[in-house]
Amino acid sequence: MKTKILTVVVIFLSSITLLAQDQYTKGMTKALSFWEEGKIVEASNLFERIAMAEEDNWIPYYYVAQVNTTASFGEKDETKLRQQLDRAKEFVDIAKKISPDNPELIVQEAMINTAWMAFDGATYGPTLAGKNTQLYAKALQMAPSNPRVVYSKASWDMGSARYFGKDTAPYCKDVERALKLFATFENDTPFYPSWGEDSAKKELEQCKG
Amino acid sequence: MKNFLSILLLFFITWASSAQITINGSVTDKSGNPISGANVYLEGTYDGSSTTEDGLFSFETTETGTQTLVISALAYEPHYEMGDVSYFKNLKIQMVEAINQLTGVTLTAGTFEAGDNSKVSVLKPLDIVTTAGAAGDFVAALQTLPGTTTVNEDGRLFVRGGSAGETQVFIDGLRVFQPFNATTNNIPTRGRFSPFLFKGITFSTGGYSAEYGQALSSVLLLNITDVPDQEKTDISAMTVGGGVGHTEIWGDESLSINTQYINLAPYESLIPSTQGMRWNSPYESISGEAVFRSKGERSMFKLYTGFNYANFDIEQEDINFDEFVRFRLKNNNLYFNSSYKYFFENNWTLGVGGSVSWDTNDIGVLENTIDARETASHVKLKAKKMFNSKFSLNLGTELFNVNYDETFETPDAFQFDNNFDDALWAGFVEADIFFNNDFAMKLGGRLENSTVLNEFTISPRLSLAYKGGEFSQFSLAYGDFYQNPLTESLKFDQTLGPEKTSHYILNYQYLNNGKTFRVEGYYKDYDDLVKFDSELPQFDSQFSNLGGGYAAGLDMFWRDNKSIRNLDYWISYSYLDTERDFRDFRERATPNFAPKHNFSLVTKYWVEDLRSQVGLSYNFASGRPYDDPNTPEFLAERTKTFNNLSLNWAYLIDQQKILYFSVNNVLSFNNVSNYQYSNAPNADGFFDRRAITPPADSFFFVGFFWTISDDKKSNQLDNL
Repeated sequence: MKTKILTVVVIFLSSITLLAQDQYTKGMTKALSFWEEGKIVEASNLFERIAMAEEDNWIPYYYVAQVNTTASFGEKDETKLRQQLDRAKEFVDIAKKISPDNPELIVQEAMINTAWMAFDGATYGPTLAGKNTQLYAKALQMAPSNPRVVYSKASWDMGSARYFGKDTAPYCKDVERALKLFATFENDTPFYPSWGEDSAKKELEQCKG
Repeated sequence: MKNFLSILLLFFITWASSAQITINGSVTDKSGNPISGANVYLEGTYDGSSTTEDGLFSFETTETGTQTLVISALAYEPHYEMGDVSYFKNLKIQMVEAINQLTGVTLTAGTFEAGDNSKVSVLKPLDIVTTAGAAGDFVAALQTLPGTTTVNEDGRLFVRGGSAGETQVFIDGLRVFQPFNATTNNIPTRGRFSPFLFKGITFSTGGYSAEYGQALSSVLLLNITDVPDQEKTDISAMTVGGGVGHTEIWGDESLSINTQYINLAPYESLIPSTQGMRWNSPYESISGEAVFRSKGERSMFKLYTGFNYANFDIEQEDINFDEFVRFRLKNNNLYFNSSYKYFFENNWTLGVGGSVSWDTNDIGVLENTIDARETASHVKLKAKKMFNSKFSLNLGTELFNVNYDETFETPDAFQFDNNFDDALWAGFVEADIFFNNDFAMKLGGRLENSTVLNEFTISPRLSLAYKGGEFSQFSLAYGDFYQNPLTESLKFDQTLGPEKTSHYILNYQYLNNGKTFRVEGYYKDYDDLVKFDSELPQFDSQFSNLGGGYAAGLDMFWRDNKSIRNLDYWISYSYLDTERDFRDFRERATPNFAPKHNFSLVTKYWVEDLRSQVGLSYNFASGRPYDDPNTPEFLAERTKTFNNLSLNWAYLIDQQKILYFSVNNVLSFNNVSNYQYSNAPNADGFFDRRAITPPADSFFFVGFFWTISDDKKSNQLDNL
């Protein structure tokens, strides 16, 4: 009898934890679907709400930063761009405090800089280009076989090589290596960043073409 | 058992589906306009929603009891509502605009900033150094901004009718006592500092903060980069010398070293300067700079050291001598600047810093020698409190010490010694008040006391800014400024009082998408200027504070780097109407350094195919006043106009190597800055004269710059 009660209680308790986990999964899934539907503000707001409730988890913070950064590429309104990129920076900074030495966050930080340079290369290039180079070097040192790190760095190096009319072949090799890494990369953390493979494939096609 | 289970089940169901409450309402700004995309949620839960286009929100929650509802939206202060969830219905939330330092109103009257990410920046660090004609001297680049006058033969900053001595330079808020290389008449000087050590340069042409004093006209504020981006080595080889620099980073600490050797001899032997002078030994200098920085969790420490040794021997034409007059100079300058900043949790920032300089000049004029030693120091203690985004207070106290000693000796062993010691204490307090994003005020004052002059002065400072439109704003500034008499007078007479100006400034600026337009009108009232009864101050001169004058003018600036692809240009125009009675003037007149019209056009064009930046600068100034003793009027004549067209070309050989060419005054305009008349009339009763012209009309420069860094990407384009 006692065991039965215990079982029930255990089931009950675990269902609560499951439910709690479920809430996170549900919330994150919903936010990601908002993002897929192009509802940037809703996605960012929901990630932010999750982040505020899950103070020790860097993942939702990471997504707030990412949603706002990717939305900034192609943004022409400087006020809006600044608001988004400032928010992205704010959340990536908090995420770095929760999870120091995280290569995904360093890549994210570099992406914010890239968004600034894409908006106005003449203004932000001279100061941010050097910073990005440093960030990618640091990320690669930390996680030499993280496919996003390898790919982002290769893509960045390729951009500057193109600008100076240099050979991009060595960086194409890096992209190839990144693609292999994408195939084998695994991380158990739910909602761990997983982007990059498709754009790496496109980049490689460009290399060949 | 069954009962127990059903109870548990019942409990579970109730818990899972416990009464849902709907929270709803609307979010607007102060004037009732809906705010869309605001994030509304219960703190610590996932429950929430974003507002619609109409500013409406509605969501369900299972939370009960007292909760905090958070409403956050970009560009607004976060809003909190606390209470029982059941009361969160039909809420009408009014959001308060956040004060935005970047897009809101800025206190800009009188200032020009060069920085990376600042809204008020009119120049970027790169601009400072890629301006044609500037030849890497950042002070020369600032001379293309309105409010400065073209005084080509001097090289220092002459601002709004003020003499060069009325501008002070500060590094990290601490005074630089000798910001310019030592030189002599008609050989233009250069700034001692390499521009790439600084992350921000603020050039104020008037109405500046109460934190700065002892400058009648202008302050130039330089801030050392806190954290360098990367480790690298810079090597440069130029027609006038060479240099090596290196930056090393260890975590939060870094050290940058920069050394340079300049020798004009090879250039002079190739293209000699011949106009009214000849070098016995052309200008030669060895200089070194080092910056150490250490960044803590909440603190920042910086130490800057600069050393400079310069030496030259020159003979210059003089109307009163048959032979050229010989002048030789050896200058040693050592400067330390150290500052420490601590950021407290409670939004107080405490800063403490000190600078000290030792400067010696061994000068020979004709057969006489002058041996001058100056030791000067500045210590400052400063605190700043950000009460909130709308109100901050800045206060501090500082002490300047100057010890000057000079020995003048003639060949017949006549010796004359001049010296003085001055300690100047100052205290300042200033408040920044942002009423909203459209209206801001800076209000402050400064109290000073000098031991030599033994006089207290109080200088009020006020600056107002009103943002009239999305892209435009008006600013107003007023301030009183005191400055001790220059060393040249103070060393002979310590009974003099400080000189004084009052500035009144009205400014309009328009900023939109790469276009900047500024126009600034000003009036400056000069009082208590130092006068003396000899041509130059000397030991037997009679000194007084009986001088005075005014300067009024209009400064205009236009910059556009967006309209034409790859072209960036700016245009400055300054109108200056000034008269003053000072030094040996016999009456009020416009001084030689104050031409009425000044115009600059600076263009930079990036040629992608050539990976080159081509620059062109044109400067124009109307005729400069000079005095002809053959006429009864004083300083009534005008020289011909000043014209200078300069070109430069920077070619990126690859990511890390740059070849740089520049030509100053490519059309060889014969510019005359002044005339020197003989002291005595000739046989016909006429005073003869000679034109004072630059030693050479044009100047050529070729340099090769190579940067070695891990990433193989950075280059010295921003150092040129």
